[in-house]
Amino acid sequence: MTTAILNWLGPTPLSRRKALWGMALVAPNVLGLMFFFGLPVLMAFGTSFNEWNAIKPPRFVGLDNFERLLYEDSFEQALTNTFKLIALVVPAEILLALGVALLLNLPLRGRGVLRALYFLPVVTSTVAASVVWTGIFQPRYGILSQVLEPFGLGETKWLVEPGLVLIPVAVVAVWQRVGFDMVIFLAGLQTIPGVLYEAALIDGAGRWQRFRHVTLPMLSPTTFLVVVLAVINSFQIFDQVYVMTLRTVPGGVGGSATTLTYYLYRRAFTNSEFGYASAVALVLFAIILLVTVFQLRIQRRWVYYESEEG
Amino acid sequence: MFKTRHSLMVLVIVLLMSALAMPVYAQDGGEPVIAAQPCDEPGELTMWVWDEVWAGIIGESIEAWKADYCPGAEVTLEVQPWGQYWDLLKTNAAGGDLPDVFNMSQTNYFFYAENEALLNLQPYWDEYGVDTTIWGSGMVDPYRWGEDGDLFAAPVNWDTIAIFYNKDMFDAAGLDYPTADWDWNDFAEMAAALTDPEADVYGAAVYAEYQAGYPNWIAATGVTPVAEAGRAGCTLEEPGSLEALNFLKGLLDEGIMPDVSTVGGASPDDAFNFFASGKLAMVAGGSWKLSQALDEVPFNWDVVQLPRHPETGRSRSILHAVGYVASARTENPDLAANLILFLASDEGQRFFAEGGNVAPANPSPAIQQLWIDSFGETDINIQTFVDATIDSQGVTVFDEIWDAINSEIVVQIFDLGMDVEDAAAAACDVVEPYMVQ
Repeated sequence: MTTAILNWLGPTPLSRRKALWGMALVAPNVLGLMFFFGLPVLMAFGTSFNEWNAIKPPRFVGLDNFERLLYEDSFEQALTNTFKLIALVVPAEILLALGVALLLNLPLRGRGVLRALYFLPVVTSTVAASVVWTGIFQPRYGILSQVLEPFGLGETKWLVEPGLVLIPVAVVAVWQRVGFDMVIFLAGLQTIPGVLYEAALIDGAGRWQRFRHVTLPMLSPTTFLVVVLAVINSFQIFDQVYVMTLRTVPGGVGGSATTLTYYLYRRAFTNSEFGYASAVALVLFAIILLVTVFQLRIQRRWVYYESEEG
Repeated sequence: MFKTRHSLMVLVIVLLMSALAMPVYAQDGGEPVIAAQPCDEPGELTMWVWDEVWAGIIGESIEAWKADYCPGAEVTLEVQPWGQYWDLLKTNAAGGDLPDVFNMSQTNYFFYAENEALLNLQPYWDEYGVDTTIWGSGMVDPYRWGEDGDLFAAPVNWDTIAIFYNKDMFDAAGLDYPTADWDWNDFAEMAAALTDPEADVYGAAVYAEYQAGYPNWIAATGVTPVAEAGRAGCTLEEPGSLEALNFLKGLLDEGIMPDVSTVGGASPDDAFNFFASGKLAMVAGGSWKLSQALDEVPFNWDVVQLPRHPETGRSRSILHAVGYVASARTENPDLAANLILFLASDEGQRFFAEGGNVAPANPSPAIQQLWIDSFGETDINIQTFVDATIDSQGVTVFDEIWDAINSEIVVQIFDLGMDVEDAAAAACDVVEPYMVQ
């Protein structure tokens, strides 16, 4: 037994000591993660099999909560809204971030200031930003309605019309993420060796061809990372919905702006259905996991790593 | 051993003496409506409130309680802001860790009562000789529970609704100011006369949200708005409800009332700000708006009771009273009840009355006058809010249907232009599953 542990730690006394030191040093972090992340996740797992209103003792109901998910229209709606939002947010976010990164990678004057400006929304409180954006989208006196007036779109009820409300939510989400993605893209762009462009130039490649055949493939590992992060992030959009619909109908008219995270929050804290809400959380977790695994699987079709043979 | 018994004796004597010497609030020579009483044994309590201003006032009254009725007691008073109050309360309830005494709303009461999380205060009311019918029914009925209608809370305050109107606009239009005997037709005529599309001025906005909005108008028809007492069924499709909603929708369709998007939000605060910005001649507002209105509204204004329904002749205000409740699991139930008694007593409520802003629930005329006087020299008809408590309607909405009733139906009718009948039916679909059949 003891020898097994010793062997597991390392082959020599020195390496064992090193291993122990290493463990001691990461222990605070690992323990913190276990207590404040691992434990709640496990508890959510347990809660999802119970009916629990937070006051009375939980009652074990097996898979009832998950079964309910299948039949509740409101869950289906929240799921659909979440995917609609992802479809709105992820492509827009990535294209904009890539565009901005490409421009800010050029030797412009005041490039540093511009980069900082684009990054500013990332460090702005989502709640504060959403409040301001709510004002911008205000149909009667908001700035947007005045800008859109000439196009016959003045006084559009962005935050109330069930068919429109996801658009302002998506706009704020994109606005807040572009800076973050841009920084990653910029880092990715810096790693592309200049010789490749020179070689392409000598071969007579034009501007578009250099972008298409040098920049894009060389940037694909970065793009992959950005896409994965963006998708996960969009699955978890909550604050924007919470704040932007607060002054009209929370969660949108008829639940039209309710995303999965907002849905489970309301189920837990408004309806006191903590078991059901935990089940929703677990399903959300499973969906994100599946989507991410799927992305990892198909990455070899389009992600180009330098070390690989082309 | 002897020493402890000795000091206990001393304590009892001191308590008795302070009880005898207690400064009963009876400056007018009359008996207090609710008399505070000394506690049996001091101890420690925790208490939660959701408002900073309240915390200040309650803090003062707790000091008075400790000094005059319960020397040696310790109360830890915490403010949990409204935005997180109910979430925190729920999570603490889950951990079996509710504060001993805390503020409750009529909208949230059902959940905590149903789950037996609250201490039954009725035995204490009986013991202290408090007749719980001295409070208006709108203040306490929503806090009763069980077959005998035991009262689980002491009302802290009341809020009623009235019409705030811009006197300058009435003068400019050459209209007489409204009086308490006006009815819906007078209201509609005045609102139409005050509307001026050229100047972007609307006559009135009175539909927004449950408390200040359309339910007041439904109540005036004689129907209990939204849900029958005891959650016995949705009432929004009853003729009275439809009549009230159609009356208000008619004003919207005629351009006399602005829609939600124009006002900038579905809350009465949004409507009030719209009024304060001079774009609205009349707005329905709560008594809680008085201080702000006195400070900030830049034109001449006054308040008048909600207009009467032409047939029933009733002007009915929705009334909400915050309550003091105690946790069922408190370690010091007697002490918690004693503190609540004090906070509801004439002496304890005086602090609220003098603080202004919050209207004290204690029905003593002296206390109500103190509240009116707390606003200082003003010719605003504040008494109208006190009058509105008489024929008032307690709150019938609750958490699970809150959005549907508070804002969704409002936005659907008054912003998206949905038919009243359709919107009412949709709202009832949300309400019905929560009714006790």
